[in-house]
Amino acid sequence: MRIVLACLVVLVLLSGLPFVASAYVLGLLTLAYYFGVFAMSWDLLFGFAGEVNFGPTFLIGLGAYGAGLLNSQAGWPVPACVAGGAVVAVLGGVLLALPALRLRGPYFGLVTLVAVLLLTQAVTIGSHWTGGEIGMSLPDVLSIDDSTNYWTALAFMGVSGLCLLLLSRSPVGLILQACGQDPVEAASLGFNVSKHKLAAFCVSALFSGLSGAMLVFYFGTVSPGTVIDVAVGVQVIIAAVLGGRRTIIGAAIGAVFLIVAGELLRPLGQLSTFVVSAIALAVILFFPDGLLGYLLHRTSRADGPPP
Amino acid sequence: MTLALQILIDGFAISALYALGATGFTLMFGVSGVLNLAHGGTMLVSAVVAWWVANQAGAYGGALAGLAAGLACAFVTYGLIVRPIQRSRAIPQEEKEIFVLTGTLLWGIMIQEAVAFFATTSPHTVRPLIAGVINLAGVRTPTNELLTAAICWAAIGVLWLLINRTQTGKALLAASINPRALTLLGYELSRIHLLVWTIYGVLAGVAGVLLGAFLGVSSDNAGTLTASAFSIVVLGGLGSVSGSLVAAYAVGYLETLTAYLVSPSLRTIPSLLLLVAVVYMRPQGLLGRR
Amino acid sequence: MSLLRVEGLTKRYGGLVAVRDMSFSVGPGEILGLIGPNGSGKSTCMKLVMGIERPNGGEVFIDGVPVAGQAAHRIARHGVGLVFQHSRPLHRQTVLENILLALLPDSLLRLVGQRGLRDRAAAIAERCGLGAVLHRRPGTLPFADLRRMELAKAIARDPKVVLVDEPFAGLTAAEVADFSALIAGFRAEGRAVLLVDHNVKGVSALVDRVLAMYLGERVTEGSAAEVMAHPRVREVYLGSGTMTRAARAPRAAADAAPLLTVEDVSVLYGKAQALDRVSLRVPEGACVSVVGLNGAGKTTLFNAISGLVPYAGRISFAGESLAGRTAGQVARTGVVQCPESRELFGDMSVRENLDLGGARLPAPERARQLAWLFDLFPILKARQPQRAATLSGGEQQMLAIARALMMRPRLLILDEPTLGLAPVILEQISRALEVLRTTTPITVLLGEQNVTFALPHADWVYVLEHARIVWEGPPERFAEEAGDGLL
Repeated sequence: MRIVLACLVVLVLLSGLPFVASAYVLGLLTLAYYFGVFAMSWDLLFGFAGEVNFGPTFLIGLGAYGAGLLNSQAGWPVPACVAGGAVVAVLGGVLLALPALRLRGPYFGLVTLVAVLLLTQAVTIGSHWTGGEIGMSLPDVLSIDDSTNYWTALAFMGVSGLCLLLLSRSPVGLILQACGQDPVEAASLGFNVSKHKLAAFCVSALFSGLSGAMLVFYFGTVSPGTVIDVAVGVQVIIAAVLGGRRTIIGAAIGAVFLIVAGELLRPLGQLSTFVVSAIALAVILFFPDGLLGYLLHRTSRADGPPP
Repeated sequence: MTLALQILIDGFAISALYALGATGFTLMFGVSGVLNLAHGGTMLVSAVVAWWVANQAGAYGGALAGLAAGLACAFVTYGLIVRPIQRSRAIPQEEKEIFVLTGTLLWGIMIQEAVAFFATTSPHTVRPLIAGVINLAGVRTPTNELLTAAICWAAIGVLWLLINRTQTGKALLAASINPRALTLLGYELSRIHLLVWTIYGVLAGVAGVLLGAFLGVSSDNAGTLTASAFSIVVLGGLGSVSGSLVAAYAVGYLETLTAYLVSPSLRTIPSLLLLVAVVYMRPQGLLGRR
Repeated sequence: MSLLRVEGLTKRYGGLVAVRDMSFSVGPGEILGLIGPNGSGKSTCMKLVMGIERPNGGEVFIDGVPVAGQAAHRIARHGVGLVFQHSRPLHRQTVLENILLALLPDSLLRLVGQRGLRDRAAAIAERCGLGAVLHRRPGTLPFADLRRMELAKAIARDPKVVLVDEPFAGLTAAEVADFSALIAGFRAEGRAVLLVDHNVKGVSALVDRVLAMYLGERVTEGSAAEVMAHPRVREVYLGSGTMTRAARAPRAAADAAPLLTVEDVSVLYGKAQALDRVSLRVPEGACVSVVGLNGAGKTTLFNAISGLVPYAGRISFAGESLAGRTAGQVARTGVVQCPESRELFGDMSVRENLDLGGARLPAPERARQLAWLFDLFPILKARQPQRAATLSGGEQQMLAIARALMMRPRLLILDEPTLGLAPVILEQISRALEVLRTTTPITVLLGEQNVTFALPHADWVYVLEHARIVWEGPPERFAEEAGDGLL
């Protein structure tokens, strides 16, 4: 439980930032925290259920547009929209996962990718409501104050992270790990692998959807480029792999690193994405366990070689 | 009637191009088990180099340079990214596929951004190899379009001959079925992999150069190119070359029909729906084995 | 009232009938041994009971409840526990967590760990001798502890029926005693135990009854002694009492220069010792047979020679060390293996398979070799354009051997060429082997558990048992000195 304590300490420290940092830094970190939840949800599905979701933005996009449409078309208040967005994401996740989990290997990943493409098309077709490629503005936002937005995001990430971490360490988490690592063994021990993987997918969808919904109310706008694009999904995956698979917290660290690094390199202009991708590639090749994964393994050699 | 003929001809050309791009992709998966997500990037490199060199050395010089660039890019992808991951001891065997996917994806993004930096994102058009227009039964078709289709089919034909009529080709086919058995027969798998990447480089290079002339080249295209090759290959069956051919034509014609008869902006939808249907009902693809 | 009852169980894989009309029952406090060589269908039977495979016919009753065709996890919850032949630990979890998992119910809502369960898991670990390694990860444990953990998981499930697959493979004599005690413990607790193994003698002390299987069917059932004495069982496992050998001039003197030398070779698969300081010599032109049951290590030995697995020790061919060579290089040097699994290119035709074998030869030589092989195996000539996957088992084996011979090897390694084949096909292959021996200078290393097939061809015999060579000598002395150990 050292990790949990360390995290709490870090969270407390981070909450002090609005007193010393500029609005620019706060804005950047706010975005990074929401991204952190995207990446942590992805890690739950990959690291624990053993399923690679190549289209996390399907769930994020459903949450975002669900919430956005409820706000712009039905005029619901923000909390109800966020909840509504999460529900849409979970429903969409179930619809996707029920047939998709029957597929093995690369085909599952494929279906998730295709889902994203379909969602993009759906947004284009329904551009009358969704604003199409350009996106739409929302009547409400979470807050105009940078500090409030920052604390909201930090709190949200903290709570989500805690939930996901505790889930990963609970008995259900143990069952999930078994289902992901060795489904035949899990079945012979009496566990319904499909049921558990579906549940993991729903949890991942819930948190992705919630975070997507909150993100759009932070921005005040929603567009495919920010919540549906395959490029965004790729960043989520890279953040989780960079931070360390199967650590949950590592994914959040990876997300913050990516977003901050992207900004720091902005003076390079167009090359910034190039450099960030190059760094990520180098990490994958030389430190496949990711930043946190690498640190954890160095400190716990006594448990035996990392698998 | 003219419209039908127009659709038939345009569809044929674009499908041929899709087929060439998809064939290399699926061969790579079938023999080496690699889903190369830098595929679009590789074609982009060929196209851009072809465009740039063509400005100095004429269309043919450009085409050759583009082909060479595609081949070089393929070798870099194999040597610097795919092979180190496959040989890495730090990555568990079950996860190697994902790492190759993520690694090639990142590399593809790097290529895309580098090209954008050097050549800007606005589309350039590679000068066609043969200018002019031919009148085919009342339809005015750019000669280049017909040349494109011809070259694609020639390349596919050569590949078919290689695989089915030469001993080396049979070895490639055998490697896609059972690599272990092949080593027991005295073959070195490392050479087989090298051969596949060479063939892939040539196919992607040719496809890239032709695509540049057909659609214009822009760094924004790279992702879409990979995505469409991916979809076609899945539709046809991962690892099945004949499957990719059939699927490429299905997709090519679906797109052309939709573009002409419904709306150009919606042209990708029917093929996407077809892909979804196939993945759910017959995940191994139309002609897939595994 | 039996806890496990199987009636008319049948399983087909395409045209192959793996299990045919099997019926048996196991009562509470009883251990039934299901014995058979590789390919007999015993492992398939067990998978059918567990639900890992769906039967094509028949029924399985767990404590009177019919369960055939249900999903594995549902059958498990009916009270069936399975101890896999190859340990399946969760590598990222500790021993305690692995056992704890087996105690958990199939619920989505268990968000809080329970103290009581952890204590129970620890107690079970103690009982199985894992008390000292509770918090270690499987990667750091020795082989026997991993096997103990499998048993612990089974105990944790508190099953009515326990299925155990090859319990003693890879264990030392002391560990075998420990395990036997644990399995006997199941019996003492009133559970029904189905033990699957290939060796009657090894489990005879533990089981109450034995059911012998061959080619998917039941041969006989009874006490261990009765089964071992049963004539059909002896015929199928050992060959009939008298073994006629073709009169043949001795091919190679024992002091002829060895073509292949294997010295002190050991192979580790993860934690399992698959080969333990094995040494043998194959003189040029001779046929040497390595005899042993499944799991003895024959395939591992051949894979080490062929360069497919890493090993400790020395292997040299024609005076040169084979160390560090890739599998392709070893094959090109003249050591060609025809593996147990045949490894044909199923989607390619018979002719294409053969051509791939002869790819290295110049065209006229290849044509000559092909003609010779068609003479040796006429059926292949007739089936040239046919896809290899559609051939019968015997034809596939002939194709595999022919393809290996296309490479014009100096040393041909044949791994269990008779596996799963009907007697009539064995005749043909035996005759082909005889032609090979008498008309060509090819040296043969033959791995077999079918002694009737191997002995007439062998100039020298090695017996491999549990990763070690336990006997070597001329075939004439085999029956009296080593025969019984194989039953």
